[in-house]
Parts: sequence; structure tokens; C-alpha cells
Amino acid sequence: MRVETAYKAPSAFARNAPGYLFLLPWFIGFFGLTLGPAIASLYLSFTDYNLLQSPNLVSMENYVRIATADDKFLSSMKVTLFYVVCSVPLKLAFALLVALLLNRGIKGLPVYRAIFYLPSLLGSSVAIAVLWRQIFDADGIVNTLLWYAFGINGPSWISNPDYSLYTLIILAIWQFGSPMIIFLAGLRQIPTDLYEAASLDGASKARIFFKITLPLLTPVIFFNAVVQTIDAFKAFTPAYVISSGTGGPIDSTLFYTLYLYQEAFGYFRMGYASALAWILVIIIAIFTAFSFLSARYWVHYDD
Amino acid sequence: MTLTIDRRQLLAGMAATLAFSSIGLSRANAATAMRLLWWGSKERSDRTFAAVKAYQIKNPDITIAGESFGWDSYWTRLATQTGGGNAPDLIQMDYRYIFEYARRGALLDMTPYFGKSLKIEDFGPANIDSGKVDNKIYGVSLGVNSSMVVVNTAAWNEAGVEPPRDGMTWEQLGDACAKVTAAKKRRGFYGTADASGGEPAFECWLRQRGKALYTADGKLAFEAKDATEWFDFWGHMREIGACTPADVQALDQQTLETDMLVTKKAAVSYAHSNQFVAIQGLVKEKLDLVAYPSNPGSKPGQYLKPSMLMSVSATSQNKDAAVAFVNYLVEDPEGTKALGVERGVPPSKKIRDLLTPDLDPVSKQVVDYIGRLTPHVGPLPPSPPNGAGENAFLLKKIAEEVAFGKTSAQDAGTKFTEQAAANITRG
Repeated sequence: MRVETAYKAPSAFARNAPGYLFLLPWFIGFFGLTLGPAIASLYLSFTDYNLLQSPNLVSMENYVRIATADDKFLSSMKVTLFYVVCSVPLKLAFALLVALLLNRGIKGLPVYRAIFYLPSLLGSSVAIAVLWRQIFDADGIVNTLLWYAFGINGPSWISNPDYSLYTLIILAIWQFGSPMIIFLAGLRQIPTDLYEAASLDGASKARIFFKITLPLLTPVIFFNAVVQTIDAFKAFTPAYVISSGTGGPIDSTLFYTLYLYQEAFGYFRMGYASALAWILVIIIAIFTAFSFLSARYWVHYDD
Repeated sequence: MTLTIDRRQLLAGMAATLAFSSIGLSRANAATAMRLLWWGSKERSDRTFAAVKAYQIKNPDITIAGESFGWDSYWTRLATQTGGGNAPDLIQMDYRYIFEYARRGALLDMTPYFGKSLKIEDFGPANIDSGKVDNKIYGVSLGVNSSMVVVNTAAWNEAGVEPPRDGMTWEQLGDACAKVTAAKKRRGFYGTADASGGEPAFECWLRQRGKALYTADGKLAFEAKDATEWFDFWGHMREIGACTPADVQALDQQTLETDMLVTKKAAVSYAHSNQFVAIQGLVKEKLDLVAYPSNPGSKPGQYLKPSMLMSVSATSQNKDAAVAFVNYLVEDPEGTKALGVERGVPPSKKIRDLLTPDLDPVSKQVVDYIGRLTPHVGPLPPSPPNGAGENAFLLKKIAEEVAFGKTSAQDAGTKFTEQAAANITRG
């Protein structure tokens, strides 16, 4: 008698059941804490929900107001776009520069890597933003240095609408650690025989960089650019802390997310804030789609 | 952010709730576990827990779990909990927000309890009305408060200028402050903070001219001309060097820690009288508090308001017990003694007389100020409309635009009135 004939193969689901079981916490998190609230917020964006009373449908009213009658939407979007356009390329360039330096095989590389990565870890924490406030304060470190080095009596960088946004951009650039680590990994992937062949042919360092390193690094640059752009659009904590949630002085640091937060929790306009959030989703989606479309012209995969 | 939870009480509360629900007792029996939410300092938390503890000893069947947050996170937390149908039974409420919460149906109408378990008749009509919205009692005043001018006496003496006192005119204050700046006794130091973006100061200025921020039916009660003159006055103060320049003033985030007097940038600043004790705690030099300036023949600009109120959630399962506890906090000698004058001067005269002899000198200064001011105050202004909260920030922003020279006082007056009106229409 052969036992095998009695053996029935378990169904795919039964076989994978332990896997699903282990994934359950993630499923609960995703559906309960991400997808569910997202759908709820889409619904609320068509209502006048104020947190305290049940929502009334107002059809497209919130979106119409955003498109036609909201000055703060425009000004906060301008602040955010300026921040994205300035901080992302500079941050990536800086990250690449440091990655190239670290890639040259210096001693104690892990230590440097850790040190450079540290600001990114602390990145969006309140503590760093508070520190930043103090550095750029009227009597802060920056002005003290300016005074002793050049005899210049600097302005209060964070409380002057002409400069305050730049201090936040510098803060963003300083947190270059995470794209830097990814660049470093990318640089390690480039086959060394290409460099050997190039140096045998007598190519200059600049030429090697532009003809070998940069093209082979484009997938990593692309990845970093997309991730950092999305992050920059969502920037909140530094602006919130530096201006105590006001976006001041004179709305110069009123990031889009900060405006959204004010509408939602400052003035109880949850429905309107939900509409603002969905506009942000659409804008980020457009930017990302544009990046992917343009990618085919400048990103080279290894083939 | 400060977060203080009395763990033992919270656990006891949770355990009690669990125990009752597991053996299927009716709601009425389980109703003895309550939650109390407030904002404020460590000092306030200690005092509040002391009051709760004393109450629980007398009423062993009641447990009250307390939670405290900083001002900013408090309102986010309260709005979220209320929105989620999980509001605390006892809510520390601010005069600025009571109308929003009451009119949106989140607070219990305590009028039926008045004179029964809520024995606050001796507050007097003014202090009872301060917790009323649309003629119903939604909050009970925990202390009496008014706006004030804080004076760093030491800095004034150092500059050799006579410090501000009650009853001086706006011009006199400006000229005196200009002298303090000109004395240059300290580096980067000015006579006064720039109050052009501060709503209480602007409101006082309006009321002295017979206007107000809002009418009783929720419209603006001032004109562009009034706002322009206000911005012009502060423009003049900047010109004569009396007040802090724009980029210094912008460091003031409207918190006590960033106040111009506390950060040693000005000899005068503007706040509420119940904050005097805290401000004196942050500054080593001797401070004094005086009334806002007023011009001869002008109407009373200041008024007495509740520093904060205690409200009960409309969805509370323990309404009667919650109201009884509110009464304990304001009318029981034991409860009021635990709270002291940290939340303002007690509105009940009986309680005030009971507490005053044991007060420290700084608290006595505040009680004395309220006493001095009372004959000169006007009535409590009508309830601000929904959306008025946004206008306080709008005033700060437009005042900054004028100070930084981005807008003229003329345009700023028009802009402020138009946008402020639009904000309250939007609600």
C-alpha cells in the first residue's frame, strides 16, 4: 500500500497561512491606519466637517474655494515649491559630493558614514529644529561668528521674512545623510574594471566622472530625487517648530502642510483640510509621474 | 509638551471600568470613573492632582483620571477626542474656545444645576455670565483675569526714567519708553515690546474709542480707519525708538518663554494677569503690573474675564458627578485651597477672603491689581463669532507686514478689516 496516494496537497492558501498570519499586523496597519483613513478623508473633503458636529455634504465647495478664493493656498504652495526646488537639488549634490569623497577608501569609513548620517536620523525631530532656531537667532552662533570674523552685525535670520525660509533650506541640505548612504552603495556597484580600462586609456578624472560614474549612477540619482522630492513636499516639523506653528513672520515659512494643519486643528475646518490634503496628493503624483516620464531620457540601467 | 498622567489613578479608573463592565453592571454604577483634561504648568498639575486626591478621599466611589498637556497640543488633543466621541468628562475650557465648543454642541448646558449642585450665586452676575454662551451656562470660571502691562521695574530705575503707572496716556507711555531705549543701559534693549500684533492690546484701544472687536450678532465692530490709526500709532513708536524693531519683535511667538520682557529685549510687555506669577518666575528682576494706558475722557478699555473655565462634556456619562466636582473646585474651601490663585483670582468673594491671608507676595500683587482695576473696567465683550480665532493670527501677520515695511498702515487697515470680516463669514 502506498501512502502517497492518500496524501492530498494542501491548497495554496493553507500552505501560505503562516505567512499571512505573520503579515496580519501589517495588513491591520495598512487597512486600518492607512487605507481606511485615506478613504475617510476623501469623503470628508466633500463635507464641511468641523470635528464636533456630523459632516454635511457640500459637493465641490472646498475644491472650488481652493481653486478660486484662497490666497493662503497660493502663498503656501509658493513657499513649498521654492523649498522643494532649492533644497532637493542642493541636498542631492551635496550628498553625492560627500559620497564620492567617502568612496575613495579612507580609513575609518564607517565612523565618517555614521557621523554624516547622524543629522538625518535626528532630521525631523523637534530637538534639531529647536537647535536650529538657536543657531540662527539674533544672538545665535551664526551671528556671533559673523561678528567676530567679519565685524558684521547679522540680522535675526529666523525672524526676518527675507531670510527665514533659507535657514530651513540649509537645515534640509544639512540632513543629506540618507541619500548619501544610498549614493555610496550605488558607487560601490560600479564595476572597477571600467575605471581600470578608462585610466589605461588615459581619461581625465573629470571625464571618468561624467562618462562612467554619473551615467551608471543615474538609477540611484533618480531614486533619491523622487524620494527626496516627496519628502520635501511633506516637510512639516522644522517649519512648525521654528515658527511655533504660525508659518511666520508674514507667512514666509507657511509650508503647505503647516497651512493644512492650521485649517484642521487651529480652526476646526477638517473638511477643508482634507480637500487641501488631496490636492497635495495630486500635486505629488503629478511630480512623480513627470519624473518617471522624464526618466527614460536620462536614466541608464545596466543593459 | 508636558504630559502628566497619574498612573495609579488612571489604572484604578481603567480597572474599575473593566471590572464593572465584565460583571455587567448598569452604566449608572460604572459611572463613577471620570476623566479630567487641562493644559498648563507642572505647578498647575500638582495643584490639580491635590484637589482630585482630596475629593476622592471624601468620595471613595469616584475616581478621576487626570491628564495635562501644553497649550498647543491640548487643543489638538481635545478636538480629536471630542471628534472621536471620546471627550473627557471634565474639560478645562478657554474663553476663546468656549463659543466654538458650546455652539457645536460639545459642552453640557449646566443651567439646570445652577443653585442646586452648582452653588455659584456668589460669583456675581459678571463672573457667572463669563461662562455663558447664548444665555446658558457652559463653563464655570476658575479665576478672574484681565489684561495687563508688565513692567521690569529694575530696568526702568537703571535707565533713570519713572516707570509706567495706572492711568497714563498712550503718548506718555511711548515717550517714557523712548527714553528707556535712548538711555542705552543694556545691549539691544528697548522701552517696550511692539504690541501692534497683540489682540488684547488692540481690543483695549478699540473699546476706549467706543468700538469693539465684534458686535453681539457676530460682525466686526470697528472700521478700517481704527485699524489704520492703531498701526500708525505703533509706526510712530518705532520711529521714536520706543519699541522693539520688526525682526526682534518677530521672535515673540506669543508664548511666555519668548515674551520680549522675559527674553530681556524690552522693559515693558503685555500679557494676562494670571500669567504674572509665571512671568515673575522666569525673570530674576522685580516686576510690577499696571493697567493699559488710556487717553483722558476715553471709555473703559479693559474688562474682567475668566482666566479659564471648567466645562463638562455633553456626552459625559457622569454629568451629575462631573458638575458636583466642578462645584468642589470653585466653592469648597478644601478644593479651592488646593488650587490657590494659580488659575486666577477666585471669583467667589467668600473663597477669595479665605485664601488671601496665606498668599505669597507675588500672588498678592495680582490680587491687588484686580482690586485696583475693577472700578475702571467695562463690560465683558459679546461672544466672538466662529472663526474669530483666526483673526488673532491675522492681526499678528498684518502688523508684521507693516513693521517690516511691506505694507503701509493705510493699506494694512483696509486689508485687516476685509480679511477679518471674511474669516468670520466663513466660520
